[in-house]
Amino acid sequence: MVGETVAGYSNVLFMFGFAVVALAPALIISRMIAPRTKSNPVKFLPMECGQVPSGEGRTHFMMQYYAYILMFVIFDVMAIFLYAWGSTLLDLPKTATLPIIGFLGIMFAAMAYALYQTKRKNIW
Amino acid sequence: MSVIAPKFRLGYLIKGVIDNIFWIILLVTLIGIPIVQIVLIYIDFPIIDGEIWNPFRVLDALTHPERALPLVVSFMQSDLFKVVAFPGFGFAALIAAATIFIERKMLAKLQLRVGPFYCGKVEGILQLMADGLKLISKEIIIPAKADKPIFWAAPVLFAATAGAFVALIPVAPGWVVADIDLGLLAVFAVIGFFPIITILSAWSSNSKFPFIGGIRALHQMVSFEIPLILSVLGIVMLTGTLNLAEIVQSQANFPWIIFMPVGAVVFFITILAELERIPFDLPEAESEIVAGWLTEFSGMMYGLVQLGTYLKLYAFAGLFVVLFLGGWNGPDIVPPFPAEIVTDGITILPGALTVEIPGLPLLAHEMINGTIWFMLKTIGVILVILLPRGVFPRIRIDMLLHIGWYKLIALSFVNIFIALALVYGGVIGPGGIL
Repeated sequence: MVGETVAGYSNVLFMFGFAVVALAPALIISRMIAPRTKSNPVKFLPMECGQVPSGEGRTHFMMQYYAYILMFVIFDVMAIFLYAWGSTLLDLPKTATLPIIGFLGIMFAAMAYALYQTKRKNIW
Repeated sequence: MSVIAPKFRLGYLIKGVIDNIFWIILLVTLIGIPIVQIVLIYIDFPIIDGEIWNPFRVLDALTHPERALPLVVSFMQSDLFKVVAFPGFGFAALIAAATIFIERKMLAKLQLRVGPFYCGKVEGILQLMADGLKLISKEIIIPAKADKPIFWAAPVLFAATAGAFVALIPVAPGWVVADIDLGLLAVFAVIGFFPIITILSAWSSNSKFPFIGGIRALHQMVSFEIPLILSVLGIVMLTGTLNLAEIVQSQANFPWIIFMPVGAVVFFITILAELERIPFDLPEAESEIVAGWLTEFSGMMYGLVQLGTYLKLYAFAGLFVVLFLGGWNGPDIVPPFPAEIVTDGITILPGALTVEIPGLPLLAHEMINGTIWFMLKTIGVILVILLPRGVFPRIRIDMLLHIGWYKLIALSFVNIFIALALVYGGVIGPGGIL
């Protein structure tokens, strides 16, 4: 039983592996047949529209929307929890819906508070 | 004008040819034949009509169509064929290539341009091949101080993850690479890899434009993942299954878009955002941040990312068709095969030429009809996905996040309550009207 279940997923990995095996040669062939002109200091600079780049490429960057990422970590899991209820809804008694409505209420309240906090840009 | 090289001598030519033949024979003997033997030991031979085929029978069968037919049929039902050719990679890559060309032509027509025109006699039909040749013969430049292993791996991983996504889409009854009971959750899991690959490639390139583009892509994909997940919940509630093939079978009489137009609209908008298409193409905003997280990709690396993007587009369009438009269901286009073909074979030119090949219809009648309907619907959805690119401007990132977190999530909850009302109102479900 368990083996059969895993075998279904192995086809996804099989497809992934086949795509890697089929596409990696494109890079290798390209590396083999493409011209490689001599190196010069400007050639390998990161693209900055003609400017000589100053500073590191990987910097601390103030995105101002970091709160949404934090919200995602919580509400993505909550959305998947809803699937455990949703996929068995037809087998459940009707009274089982009330706790879920309560769960949705808590989720909405938390989301509203989080969305209120995201507007306060000065704290991020 | 080509001339024979001045140093040409017939003796050199013969020597070269003989040398090559010698090396080929040597390598085949030392490497090729052992590999064939090892493969023959470990390969699973098909079992047809209750007996295991051996290599001799396979070679024997290949000499005659009548004997080769069971072999071809069993090969077409193997996992290898499904992964490599039909519902899998080859099929999807072909559609992706066609989509690129159609998008360029359609966009040109929308903007009163000509589009690709000169390569190939008819409407620049060979332009894509020319682009591929150009990309593969261009030098790959890797920026200084880039994290090389990750930077090299990112395009391949992106395209391969898109391939893994394609593997989950059922095309026709029984024709799906991975038929999983939790197929929809597997789709969400695969989609979750794209932001990771994007931000890894952006971070590894050690350049500022890709970094900003990668962060934008991360925010966008992450924000729209929750409405994406929630907008499909209504269908799962009404069908009670997460298997994509069973979801298609549940739509034999009516597609779910009739009952859940709200969910379909939300799902379509999130598709646009996950695919980074206009009006949500902030990660690649060419007028602001050069090409976003694709800025440092050159040559074939860019080509692979592009292929991966369009594979993803096909997979999302297929998912929309499977979930909302009824998948392979539709009236028969190809009539059922007459029974004589199945038992007796085909007679060409009565009296003169008779080819009797029992078991000829390689593909079931439902499979051909299903594929035609699935393709028609998928192409329609792909065209609708391509259309906004010629029509809409780009929106700001705060507007994007506002749409994703306020409006789409609220609308997807409306969709969930519609589904609940359908179940408890006695319309669908056990004891329902439909």
